[in-house]
Amino acid sequence: MGKSLYPDRVDYLPIHDRPKIIWPGKAKIALWVAPNIEHYEYTPETSYGRDPWPRVPHTDVREFSYRDYGNRVGFWRMLDSMDRYRIRCTVSLNMAVLEHFPEIGRAIVDRSWDIMSHGIYNTRYMYGMTDDDEMRFYRDNIDTLYEHTGKKLKGMLGPACSETENMPDLMAKSGLIYTADFLHDDQPVPINVQTGKLVSVPYSVELNDHVLFTASFDGDVFVRRCIDQFDRLYSESSQSGRVMCIPLHPFLIGQPHRIKYLDKVFQYISRYKGVWQTTADEIAEYFIEHYYDDYVERAISLKKNFTHAG
Amino acid sequence: MPANRKYGMDHPHHSWSPLPSRTCLRWPNGANLAICIIINLEHEQWEIPPNSYVASNLAGGLSPRPWPDYMRITHREYGHRVGVFRVLAALEKANIPPTIAIDSATARMYPYLIKYCRDKGAEFIAHGTSVNSMVTSRMSYRTETKYIRETMDALIEFTGETPRGWLGPEFGESEHTPQILGELGFRYVCDWPNDEQPYMMTVPTGEISSLPIMLELDDVNAMWDRKITVKNYAKMLIDAFDRMYLDGLDNGRLLVLNLHPWLIGQPFRIGYLEKALAHVRSKKGVWAATGSEIIEWYREQS
Repeated sequence: MGKSLYPDRVDYLPIHDRPKIIWPGKAKIALWVAPNIEHYEYTPETSYGRDPWPRVPHTDVREFSYRDYGNRVGFWRMLDSMDRYRIRCTVSLNMAVLEHFPEIGRAIVDRSWDIMSHGIYNTRYMYGMTDDDEMRFYRDNIDTLYEHTGKKLKGMLGPACSETENMPDLMAKSGLIYTADFLHDDQPVPINVQTGKLVSVPYSVELNDHVLFTASFDGDVFVRRCIDQFDRLYSESSQSGRVMCIPLHPFLIGQPHRIKYLDKVFQYISRYKGVWQTTADEIAEYFIEHYYDDYVERAISLKKNFTHAG
Repeated sequence: MPANRKYGMDHPHHSWSPLPSRTCLRWPNGANLAICIIINLEHEQWEIPPNSYVASNLAGGLSPRPWPDYMRITHREYGHRVGVFRVLAALEKANIPPTIAIDSATARMYPYLIKYCRDKGAEFIAHGTSVNSMVTSRMSYRTETKYIRETMDALIEFTGETPRGWLGPEFGESEHTPQILGELGFRYVCDWPNDEQPYMMTVPTGEISSLPIMLELDDVNAMWDRKITVKNYAKMLIDAFDRMYLDGLDNGRLLVLNLHPWLIGQPFRIGYLEKALAHVRSKKGVWAATGSEIIEWYREQS
């Protein structure tokens, strides 16, 4: 039996009792926008612990092609919005997209966006990987990204949000500095690993277009959630800087009936000063450089001061 | 056992009692509505103990995924790290004392939260061992007694008080639960969402009342299971409050609201709770109290 996620992996520290974060330029909110650019295999293996196309015997052209729409059409429409509002994204990327659809890779590199891994394919999950498999998996991710973009890989959101028990240790061992698979906070949080330093840069399933639009919610709800989230975090940031993540999927947000709602969100946020519109790579680096050690020290002292008698 | 076709309930745990047949209940100072807010502090275990039953609709993350499900566990942990402080501040502002349903895993691992909640005037009630270990009819009488006893002992150890109330994780009960709770000396149970007033349970040993939660107003039931927007959720809270307030003029009502900080404590949601609670506090004749205060008052009246 390995480490338990709580309390072993993450030391407890309540949000109001941490080093005060001030983002670059004295910004209040670090905003990262994370389009998931994915490729789902037409005839995937089913041996990865989850059936990617559970609706019908494989293949499922409807579901496959619906997602492929994101790469053929939705991505390019979404790109217009990003360019209009000068958003620098953190792409959550299935690395094989660089090989199948290099035009997308070039559009990302041309804009100096950052890229975190989202695995190789969205139909190859991490469940059941051995440690050796997983180390090879990170090597593959690092090498593929470098080969096609010249960029160094710094973080990951597990493929289709799949994970393994030793993931944080093995990520850190491979030289990565952040994971986006933790939804536990409004700030970066140190994750305990065997070697090196790893932080979580929390992603969101609450503002996530996939979660909203595959339920009964419409564009107005998406806009309302993003604005309310922004307003609340902005007002709380007088205590300490906050992080806000807007996760997107081009096959959903890039639909003709939906893209204007993304524009509305950016229109609203662009009126505010004090927003550090940045990437997860930069948030992780900044946090590690300025706040990591202080955070860990406080967490250790909280553990000492708050133990049950006996 | 199938029901017998005769008058009254088809189980022995409480009697049938249509609301209009009851005598008038008044809360302290003649209040017509009592409000109680139960905040659930729940731990989702990394590895599920053998023979545990996990509710198929257990909320969080992206809905159930293969192990290890980081997203669901960390989504819920958000409540302990961030959300609960927003929720407690909202209650404090509305002058409503919190009733905290805490499981033994959380009580053991988060001494900071125990102290923080106690400083806010909270009453702790027992909430099982963890959210992914429910009470169900698959437990034997002995196993269930041991499970409830363990939860109770953990709360005594970690909060320093004997819990008077019980809420099963995910409202889980067997056919024996009220009896076991009575034997162990609990004063009230919150698993039965069927009324707008407290009522007595029928148990062989002890004296136990029901403190009924309004299930549709539970944040997880409304916004996770039924996908209601938070704006409509707040409207529903206010609508329910207004009607119960009015009906309470004839016979006092009880609004028990069950909240989960990982959900309602999200930045984009909390403002709507604050708005609804501000509405509640703008009215006279509302008594905000903990579960025990409500049950003890009710018992003195009846």
